Amino acid sequence: MTSTEDVAGAAEAGPLLRRAGVHVLGVRHHGPGSARSVLAALEELAPDAVVIEGPPELDVLAAHAGDPDLVPPVAGLVYVADEPRRASFYPMADFSPEWVALRWAVARGLPVRFADLPATHAFALASQAEAEGEDAVPPPPRSRARLDPLAVLAETAGYDDPERWWEDAVEHRSATAGSALEAFDAVAEAMAEVRALESEQDPAANPENDRREAAMRRVLREVAAAHEVVAVVCGAYHAPALRQGAWPTKTADARTLAKLPRVKVTATWAPWSAGRLARGSGYGAGVTSPGWYQHLFAAWRDGTDVVAGWLARVARELREEGIDAPPASVVDTVRAAEALAALRSRPSVGLPELTDATTAVLCGGSELPMRLVHERLVVGSDLGSVPERVPQTPLAQDLARQQRAVRLKPSATPQTLVLDLRRENQRARSLLLHRLRLLGVHWGEEVDSTGTGTFRETWELAWEPGLAVAVVEAGLHGTTVLDAATAKVVEEAAGAGDLGALGRLVEQCLVAELPEALPAVVDALAALTVRAHDTLALLRAVEPLARTRRYGDVRGSETERVAGVLRTVTLRACVGLRASAASLDDEAAADLRAAVDSAHRGLALLAGDTAAELGPAWTQALGSVAGDDRVHGSVSGRACRLLLDGGHLDAGEAAARMGRRLSRAAPAPAGAAWLDGFLDGDALLLLHDEVLLGLVDAWVAGVSDEVFEDLLPLLRRTFSRYQPAERRQLGTRLRRGPAAPTAGDALDALVDLETGLPPALAVAALLGIPLRRTPTLQEAPTRQEADA
Amino acid sequence: MTTHPAADQATDQAPDGVLRPHAEQAFAGELAALAAADDRPRPPRWRLSPWAVTTYLLGGTLADGTVISPKYVGRRRLMEVAVASLATDRALLLLGVPGTAKTWVSEHLAAAISGDSTLLVQGTAGTPEESLRYGWNYARLLAEGPSRGALVPSPVMRAMESGAIARIEELTRIPADVQDALISLLSEKTMPVPELDTEVQARPGFNVVATANNRDKGVNDLSSALQRRFTTVVLPLPDTLAEEVDIVRTRVASLSTGLALPADVAHADEVARVVQVFRELRSGSTDDQRTALRSPTATLSTAEAISVVVNGATLAAHFGDGRVGADDVAASLVGAVVKDPLQDRIVWQEYLETVVRDRREWADLYRACRDLD
Repeated sequence: MTSTEDVAGAAEAGPLLRRAGVHVLGVRHHGPGSARSVLAALEELAPDAVVIEGPPELDVLAAHAGDPDLVPPVAGLVYVADEPRRASFYPMADFSPEWVALRWAVARGLPVRFADLPATHAFALASQAEAEGEDAVPPPPRSRARLDPLAVLAETAGYDDPERWWEDAVEHRSATAGSALEAFDAVAEAMAEVRALESEQDPAANPENDRREAAMRRVLREVAAAHEVVAVVCGAYHAPALRQGAWPTKTADARTLAKLPRVKVTATWAPWSAGRLARGSGYGAGVTSPGWYQHLFAAWRDGTDVVAGWLARVARELREEGIDAPPASVVDTVRAAEALAALRSRPSVGLPELTDATTAVLCGGSELPMRLVHERLVVGSDLGSVPERVPQTPLAQDLARQQRAVRLKPSATPQTLVLDLRRENQRARSLLLHRLRLLGVHWGEEVDSTGTGTFRETWELAWEPGLAVAVVEAGLHGTTVLDAATAKVVEEAAGAGDLGALGRLVEQCLVAELPEALPAVVDALAALTVRAHDTLALLRAVEPLARTRRYGDVRGSETERVAGVLRTVTLRACVGLRASAASLDDEAAADLRAAVDSAHRGLALLAGDTAAELGPAWTQALGSVAGDDRVHGSVSGRACRLLLDGGHLDAGEAAARMGRRLSRAAPAPAGAAWLDGFLDGDALLLLHDEVLLGLVDAWVAGVSDEVFEDLLPLLRRTFSRYQPAERRQLGTRLRRGPAAPTAGDALDALVDLETGLPPALAVAALLGIPLRRTPTLQEAPTRQEADA
Repeated sequence: MTTHPAADQATDQAPDGVLRPHAEQAFAGELAALAAADDRPRPPRWRLSPWAVTTYLLGGTLADGTVISPKYVGRRRLMEVAVASLATDRALLLLGVPGTAKTWVSEHLAAAISGDSTLLVQGTAGTPEESLRYGWNYARLLAEGPSRGALVPSPVMRAMESGAIARIEELTRIPADVQDALISLLSEKTMPVPELDTEVQARPGFNVVATANNRDKGVNDLSSALQRRFTTVVLPLPDTLAEEVDIVRTRVASLSTGLALPADVAHADEVARVVQVFRELRSGSTDDQRTALRSPTATLSTAEAISVVVNGATLAAHFGDGRVGADDVAASLVGAVVKDPLQDRIVWQEYLETVVRDRREWADLYRACRDLD
């Protein structure tokens, strides 16, 4: 290459003359080849200062880039101070040219500046545009060249995929091919052609881009005035506009940037992840294969073999998945990939060749195994980290402290965590997770525990880098996780207008252990209870309150006030229940039934004085609903069942009610709704109560054919809730007809009272039923004799 | 254009008196033009460079204006992997259901690379080891004793000696113990002949292209040792209706030539309709994704669609008005779908009544199929 010699000659003749000025290195964001070329160019140029594309607000962060604990992928995070939800990220991975330039400069103690439209204006402009959004005329469609200038270049070179063209033409060119600076000059020139073509096709102004480039030049002017040799790392598209010769006058740029609105913004580093870099996550400037790029960059840096190294890793992952990938086949894969690259006239082996070769040689033509390892290899699970020294919101610092204290490290890979709340450390973890969830930092989601017992919690954990924003946002509420969660709950309680929501908040206070928030929530609840007339809402508030009362004692919270509110809520609900059950349609009845169920569950948890006071009231309320034939069948059926289960209604009465409800005179759909409410849940009742089963059976058998057909869907829904085994048992029981007289005797013969007694006593002790051994022993035979 | 370019050319150069000429005969013109235009490096004994082989398979226009007809309609990636594998001395296994052009691709690969697609072993359950290694001419063996003259080389052995591509069809139908003969042959690239105390060493350019039907799993599944020696390329069913129609039309046109049927006997609409019926029944839903269908037990491969259309074309040419209509395809269409007389008949009736009947422009097909019952 003759031009290479020219460069060398020029360098010898007068290096300073040749180098002085602003040198633009136009890159592809997140391109490992660009990163390598940038490194080579920087070494060649030895600039006095480095300018990187990015808002100037990031300047304060540059110094931290030298910190060994700042591990990429990380993102420069710029957010509106009062409204952290509005944030911009500038992600950087190991292989990002921006990161390479940043580290290079910081390691040498050179000044680094960021150049772009300041975020303070960008955010303000965006919210302005949003406000005008509805009136504004939609912007005219942009030319393809403006949307994707690289695609035009690639097409010119005969490529269908612009990414591949850039990789071939720029990124895969080996470092020995010539001066890196020269390559960047060529890129800028080509891009200048594209931009010329673009403005020809679409002369409409692009104020956003103009502003950005004017702002970049403003920074460049400042830097160039103070330093002799300046290197600029920016997206290739901007390269022609930043070349020193092409600058418009200072006044022109100043005019472009005059009178822009501002908002207050703050910047910090946030950890990022490989998954977020991938395009799938919805970030425009992302790449599809960060894992591959990382590998490429590392292999180039360490001088190892790209292809063999990658395939060795693929083979290892495949073996993990149980696919034998013998070394001999790996060698063949290497050769196949190289042959493919040659066939496709590509200068070097790329990811498509490697994937095709692996699929054909190692995976027997099936694409399934490669999909298994795609996440781990091609995307990668790298998660960056940010040292505590970096200015963070106080809340983020507190969070980091707590994460360390409970030994729970954020990880991008989803994991399942089972916590036993009886252990101190695990309870602390649970508290942290609950509090974070209250703050909107959804690090973990609670899932159903498989085991029984209320002392166990199961969480699905995954630290999404986007949570960094949520943490910043949560920082508005307080400076520690505890304070912020408390403040947030108090704020929410003040704003909540719904008893159900407040009830849930009460429960949240309990599981997240926020004793200071509890009074505020209970006050709000008490105030609202006075005004609330909606029985449904009152009913719904019962369960969370009752749980708080029940388990709050266990956790040592102060729950006396809760008991008071619970009492009021329950009594008012009891009073209003009958009235609210009048003239319901099916949907409203279903809501009420669910609310009654939940209230019943809640009240069942209570013990002591509260239970003694509220229990009878509740029973009475249920009785008023159950006994009234004008109440919607679904609700009164359910009430009957609850009373029956609680022993407050004898079976004969229940049978009579059922007969009445299901008699011919009553409309059949109403009868079926009653049955649905009555039989909801456990099949055991039906299995063991011969009278009831007979009643149901007789009703089903007696109903006329047309009516039966109408009711069939509802009946089917009722019965399909039972387990198949239960249904089978029911069927057997029905087929056998009325209970055989011998069944009871046979059962007695099977029961060995001597053997059964000790466990029965143990269970009785556990349940707190006072039983003494001797009388029971005497009593048992007596009863048996009586039966016989 | 009523017929496919590939078929036109086949008519030009087919030698008289042959039902179906070999690929290297039918497309001699294209191969010659490619060889002339091809200036890229060729592996030893390859007639064309890998690039030219790919172009031959996928079609294109050469610098001198010669149009190369596409032999394979489908994903470019698959053909590239296949050719690249052969270029690196790895044997190639083409897998797919019937009618995905496995044999067609393997024949054209051999024709383009070695100029000879006739070194062929047609695998059956009765294929002996001699078909893969070598046998003896017993008359000469008795007369002369073991000698090179008494040895009958297999196509594979001949391919090794001449450095050409050997083709093995229906590899999974060959008994497992016979398949095993390939294992060390493929890795050592030599075939010892202990009777003569000698061996045949493969010359550069030798390779094996095998095909197998992956619906026939369990016939004689490949051992993992053998599987490892093959680069596997799975040829999928055509992605789109248009692609499949194109394939069926091309093949029907070239078959019609062999059967001396008028070339334009099968017009595009009828082919499209048959292919659509096949695709809908195969995928279990109508083309517009509105109605779910039950699938019959039949494979309903592209190959069967081709045979339905050819059948119809024959009927139309000899007994009808010379153009394929609904009446001509109905009988063989029903025959292709209804393989199990009980289950499939219900599936077919459902399809007829719920889908075919509702399409107004398909009224003739509906009537024709109803008339058959």
